[in-house]
Amino acid sequence: MNNPLEHTWQSVMDQLKTWARINSPWAIHFNSGSCNGCDIEILATLTPRYDMERFGVKLQGSPRHADILICTGPVTRQARERLIRIYEQMPEPKFVVAVGSCALTGGAFQGCYNVMGGIDQVIPVDAYIPGCPPRPEAIIDGLVKLLGSLKADGAPERASEPPLAASVLEPSS
Amino acid sequence: MSAVFALVIFPGGVFILLAGMLYEWVDRKLVARFQNRVGPRWFQPLADTVKLLAKEEVVPDGVNAQLFVVLPVIALAGALTAVLYVPVFGLAPSFSFSGDLIVTIYMLSLLTLCMGLAGANTLNRFSLLGATRTLTQLFSYEAPFLLALLGPAIVAGSWRISTIADYAAGHWLILTQPIGFAVALIGLMGKLELPPFDAPEAETEIVAGALTEYSGRGLALFHLGKGVELVVGLTLVAAFYLGGVTNPLWFAVKTLALLVGLAGVQTLLTRLRIDQTVGLWWRYGALLVLVQFLALILWEGVIA
Repeated sequence: MNNPLEHTWQSVMDQLKTWARINSPWAIHFNSGSCNGCDIEILATLTPRYDMERFGVKLQGSPRHADILICTGPVTRQARERLIRIYEQMPEPKFVVAVGSCALTGGAFQGCYNVMGGIDQVIPVDAYIPGCPPRPEAIIDGLVKLLGSLKADGAPERASEPPLAASVLEPSS
Repeated sequence: MSAVFALVIFPGGVFILLAGMLYEWVDRKLVARFQNRVGPRWFQPLADTVKLLAKEEVVPDGVNAQLFVVLPVIALAGALTAVLYVPVFGLAPSFSFSGDLIVTIYMLSLLTLCMGLAGANTLNRFSLLGATRTLTQLFSYEAPFLLALLGPAIVAGSWRISTIADYAAGHWLILTQPIGFAVALIGLMGKLELPPFDAPEAETEIVAGALTEYSGRGLALFHLGKGVELVVGLTLVAAFYLGGVTNPLWFAVKTLALLVGLAGVQTLLTRLRIDQTVGLWWRYGALLVLVQFLALILWEGVIA
């Protein structure tokens, strides 16, 4: 890094990488216990009327291909390990968007015996989109804000850092 | 020196990769417009490729790691080799020898073969299912596609691509061999796994088919290979059937016209099941081409 030429090369490559990441966010959608209201809104966001392909968003089937994990619903105790597994199957750099009130805090299901709470109780979340359910415009706005925060320093500011560790994978009694 | 230039810059290397991305964008944009959407921006395939190249590549447990890493490279190399023997951008092929048509067609199949192997290499059940379907589809469209491209070879009396292209430049073979044209174009769609022949990568049923476990670099190389194959396939069909591609302008006009047709078919039709795909090719595609072949041979050998 002492060589100025190498330094310039490195910064140009970093800028190129950030540009590509902002312009090509491939998404995967996971429902960890939602009532399907938010899922329908996400599908509505992908329809021709809103056309997310304008921003380069493509819905992928495989977590290995995706950059953004769009989560809906509170995390039920049954879905928690699947959610963590899908998160860990995604290659770095990866981002998580929590869509809907339940994904934020647990919403109407808060305090249920079988519910962990919001997505950020289990995996780190980069963007929160409130609403019950949020409109497609709100989902697009949330994604664009997430991508905008990438532009600043290459990594979005994380509001929360949950304990994503081996202890989380073990079922808590 | 000129050989190195042909391999690395034009037409074999950088240029064909960029052209592949451009054609992929045109295809996606046309499909989007047919669906009344705005569609992706012009740099979308480039951004996708750069992003995938900059991503982590996960090598899953239970695979042969060397094979996993090297298969995408072989696939792209096969597609890039095929470029050297076809008249891309309306210019004469960089290299040419007698029988290079067969070599080109098998270089194009290398990508599909590598995808099948890549899927079979992993333990993932969706990859395995995708690999089975990829190879099944390969065996179903390959023979009719080859026969459809041999029609022009018979009338031109040569298996050298440049000779056939020169002959076809004076004759619109789409008029005398319409069946061959249709089968070649639909065979190209099967080769590229475009809808309605996208059962091998049906994202609504088997996640992403053979490439489910690929992330980052491997996926980027497979995508680039497909873009290159799209350009090579369109070039072959345009050169053989649409009155030849003798200069860059004609090349652009004819290949883009074919692409509009492909995008229209993609939008109109829904996905065929894998058994329907095989049935379509062997019951109708291969048979119709054989009938046309018989007519050609009779015409060439008996009447003319």
